[in-house]
Amino acid sequence: MLDLLGKSLSSVIRKISSTALVDERLVKEIVRDIQRALLRADVNVKLVLDLSKRIEERALKEDPPRGLSRKQHLIKIVYEEIVALVGEGKKIVPRGKPFKVLMIGIQGSGKTTSAIKLGRYYQKRGYKTGVICADTYRPGALDQLLQLGEKAGIEIYGERNESDPIKIVSHGLEKFRNFDLVLIDTAGRHKEEEGLLREMEELSKVVNPDEVMLVLDATIGQEAGKQAKAFHERAKVGSIFLSKMDGSAKGGGAISAVAETGAKVAFIGIGERIDDIEEFDPEGFVSRLLGMGDLKSLLQKAKEIGELEEMRRTIEDIMKGKFTLKNFYDQIVALGKAGPIKRIIQMIPGLSLGESDLEISEEKLRRYKAIIESMTREEILNPKIINRSRIRRIAKGSGTTTQEVKELLNEYFTVERLMRRIRKKGIKPRDLARLMRGMRV
Amino acid sequence: MLLGELKSRVGDFFSRLRGELGERELENILWDFQISLMEADVALEIAEDIVDDLRESFMKNKSRDVVKERFKEKLEEILNKAKPERGLLELISEGDKPYVILFLGVNGTGKTTTIAKVAHYLSREGLDVVIAAGDTFRAGAIEQIEEHARRLGVKLVKHDVGADSAAVAYDAIKHAEARGKDIVLIDTAGRMQTNRNLMDELRKIARVSKPDMKVFVGDALSGNDVVDQATTFDREIGVDSIILAKMDAAKGGCAISLAYVLEKPILFLGTGQKYEDLMEFDPQLLIDLIIGD
Repeated sequence: MLDLLGKSLSSVIRKISSTALVDERLVKEIVRDIQRALLRADVNVKLVLDLSKRIEERALKEDPPRGLSRKQHLIKIVYEEIVALVGEGKKIVPRGKPFKVLMIGIQGSGKTTSAIKLGRYYQKRGYKTGVICADTYRPGALDQLLQLGEKAGIEIYGERNESDPIKIVSHGLEKFRNFDLVLIDTAGRHKEEEGLLREMEELSKVVNPDEVMLVLDATIGQEAGKQAKAFHERAKVGSIFLSKMDGSAKGGGAISAVAETGAKVAFIGIGERIDDIEEFDPEGFVSRLLGMGDLKSLLQKAKEIGELEEMRRTIEDIMKGKFTLKNFYDQIVALGKAGPIKRIIQMIPGLSLGESDLEISEEKLRRYKAIIESMTREEILNPKIINRSRIRRIAKGSGTTTQEVKELLNEYFTVERLMRRIRKKGIKPRDLARLMRGMRV
Repeated sequence: MLLGELKSRVGDFFSRLRGELGERELENILWDFQISLMEADVALEIAEDIVDDLRESFMKNKSRDVVKERFKEKLEEILNKAKPERGLLELISEGDKPYVILFLGVNGTGKTTTIAKVAHYLSREGLDVVIAAGDTFRAGAIEQIEEHARRLGVKLVKHDVGADSAAVAYDAIKHAEARGKDIVLIDTAGRMQTNRNLMDELRKIARVSKPDMKVFVGDALSGNDVVDQATTFDREIGVDSIILAKMDAAKGGCAISLAYVLEKPILFLGTGQKYEDLMEFDPQLLIDLIIGD
């Protein structure tokens, strides 16, 4: 039998990373593996082909940023390209009374369970929520909602002997008119069922929903796009609830559905319990799609490298000019906030500074400000000229002590020396660490 | 439905196959064909395997007709693995009474609806059916199957929500034995094949009910994952046969994938919402639909 479950992509990449030379052939090989991983994850075949072409082009053209290996860079490109397709996920903030969400999907995709999960999610966040059962076909649909509703503490509206979902929904909306959020659970249907699609279209007209949410089964294969399109044509799909993400399916069908409808994924279902719902997280999704768990740390690293580069530039800018007390003061202020230097410190390995170490007391900051404001322009630009008598004058003028003025100057000179060395030799993490220590007030 | 769309792609493929193709051209054509297969939800590795065979055949003979013949053979090889040797009715008549069938699968594939269809099919054949409402977990599941049983005029054995499914199955079998019923169909809660605890529970149901047949109900709309689902259920519980639901919405390539990997008979295809919408699986019919003439 063939190895149908496949090797995980990460093992392939690990193997490749042990090869010394990264050339075009190797990039092509990796792209091919990525392609296979995506196909296996049920991403639409055409989308995969376009995607892998773009990935290959970028991988061959772009140089990896400093600190990222070519392999890591490639994965970063893959990530970016897939996120570009699937999007960042949609945040739905119910507004107006009531905010109406129409939940639609194929039979067995998990609409009812997802409706309750969603209701629970928003109810916990303070939205008074009701669910209307508009599924008049499947036996037991209303019972299912009533039982789940009781568990979740959500009100359910349904009518046992009414076969017209439009009537039920009208009555339900009337009943829930003072609620914040009303979810309408509908019968399952698919693109070949014209009568049911027409019913959904009419339902959508009557409800005039604020949001139409397509519930999509993570196990769905290549039909995902076409099915989503059929739904979209009859009731404009605004978001996607990707259900059953707790199994082994990768949910690649969501990408096709997004591509066909322009809707974004809002939530994923991750289990059987009513609280098993999460907001869609593209990073987690792509990691899973590619069958690799370490994507997050890689992306984190890429982000940090980006920031480090940015900081390097900031510091270089500072150092082009003279490092004056003014610069020093600005950096201290930045350090107190989430300034660039503070973030650099946090990135330096081995330098375990807690958040509190980086906080400067407002009081101290105020005093330093006063001290610097009591200096002449000449003193600020060239602190070397500040002698004992100037210190006394400054302390007096700023309402501080000579001790405090000296402390500020000492710190400035420490940092200034470091800055000079860095200017000569470039930045080393160790220097940054010392730099930061010097700035700790 | 049923791979019908694949037929025109198959036609394209063969019309492009000519004796004097260069290697690159041939690869493009084969790749396009592999894409067509995958777009019909044939799992990646199986599509590759089929295309590899066709490549080999072409390289050897440079003949379109030979390749076409090889493709047909290949499909037969694969799909015949899923051809039931004997029909369900035959199996039932050979087995002891009551004949016990356990239905299993992941959530939302259509187990309950399929059981209703099978019950309908069997009672129309004059067999006396008992259904065990073994899905005691999902809200509304008991009511759902109860309504089906009522409509079909079939006996249902049920416990309350949250009850032990194995006990429900046991009671249904005892009931069937006492009343001389022919068949017991046991519904179970859908479960992700990756969920240890729920698979253990299912194993217990199987141990207690000692089914004559364990049927994996798959969603024909599912993609590559269906192979993992079926192989895991087979490894953990044992699968004797397959029913593919929602075939009316699907391209149906997953029938090929399942036949290829599991080599278990596909009993029926679910083809709609009505009780009659249950079709016996016939490999030849599928092959004709794919290849035509």
